[in-house]
Amino acid sequence: MFVMSEIEHTLRLPPHLLNRPLNAAIKGELESLFLDKVIDKLGLCVSVYDILSIDGGFIFPGDGASTYTARFRLVMFRPYVGEVISARLKESTKDGLRLSLGFFDDIYVPVPLMPNPYHTEPDPEHKNGTRWVWEYMGENYPIDWADEIRFRVHTVNYPPLPVEQGKDSEQKDSEEKDSRQKDLKPFAPMVITGSLDADGLGPTAWWV
Amino acid sequence: MKILQSNAGVLTNCEVLELLKSRGAGKDPTRVIAAVAPSEFKVYDYLEQTVASKQTIEIIHKFVEDCKKYDLANGEMLNVVNIRPSSAVEIDPIIQDCDSRMGDRIDEFLENVVQVLPPYPSQLESNEDTAEDKEETTDDQQMGVK
Repeated sequence: MFVMSEIEHTLRLPPHLLNRPLNAAIKGELESLFLDKVIDKLGLCVSVYDILSIDGGFIFPGDGASTYTARFRLVMFRPYVGEVISARLKESTKDGLRLSLGFFDDIYVPVPLMPNPYHTEPDPEHKNGTRWVWEYMGENYPIDWADEIRFRVHTVNYPPLPVEQGKDSEQKDSEEKDSRQKDLKPFAPMVITGSLDADGLGPTAWWV
Repeated sequence: MKILQSNAGVLTNCEVLELLKSRGAGKDPTRVIAAVAPSEFKVYDYLEQTVASKQTIEIIHKFVEDCKKYDLANGEMLNVVNIRPSSAVEIDPIIQDCDSRMGDRIDEFLENVVQVLPPYPSQLESNEDTAEDKEETTDDQQMGVK
């Protein structure tokens, strides 16, 4: 699940941090820059592993702060395709499931990757929710909220940042766009698509 | 920002947990004093709930040594360490072409996994509960006799 990535970055150290030991100050700056942020193709940054080297310390004219070039390693959350991960259920709708790891919530299991054959029923506890039930050998296995669910990573996507709508969009389209924007979820820079369609996947209660 | 090496090494859940613990994540009930950010605490909470909380680096080294003869890919070994499957059906999604590559040795491999890697407490608790019930019933019988 976790990989180390080596990065080199030039950063400006604000003057109010000058009284701190250099390593601690740079580490603090790096954490505020990278922690809990998604880097394209590298994944979600979880932690700064260590700092390999710090160069520079130049002060540019007109600036009160010194600029350093640091080489460091970050712990990234980047599951590989085919990895099996345990997660909890976050949402269960007619389009599929949404799973959560606590620190990462954008894991979706769309309908084609649900265990086959299945049937759905409206969820008694949640309005507009759907309860998914797997049918196997005449038995019904529901996906309940308390379960720990194992899924296999199908794809990991990094959708590009959304571009704002231009002013010259056509009038007849604008109504459609408004209604679509209300349904849009907040932008997710990293989306994992998971699959439950294999032996051993799904709630652990089914197999243990 | 320049990416020098996008993959400078894979980490098991256990190693990430050790890293967070070394910064003081476990010992601080207030979660303010330790040098650990709130987002890192979320990772710590997740990992504490998995089998990684019971593993150590030595256990993982030993497991990797023992598994060399099965010719597994690095990713598969990592996955087994992170998940700790205890039955053949749980291993099936983790190891590709499990039947053709492992065949009969799957039971031997499972024995290895279950012995070397410690189980997660919820599995232990269900065993302890049944043991405690037995103890209580024997105590009652003794008191009845008195």
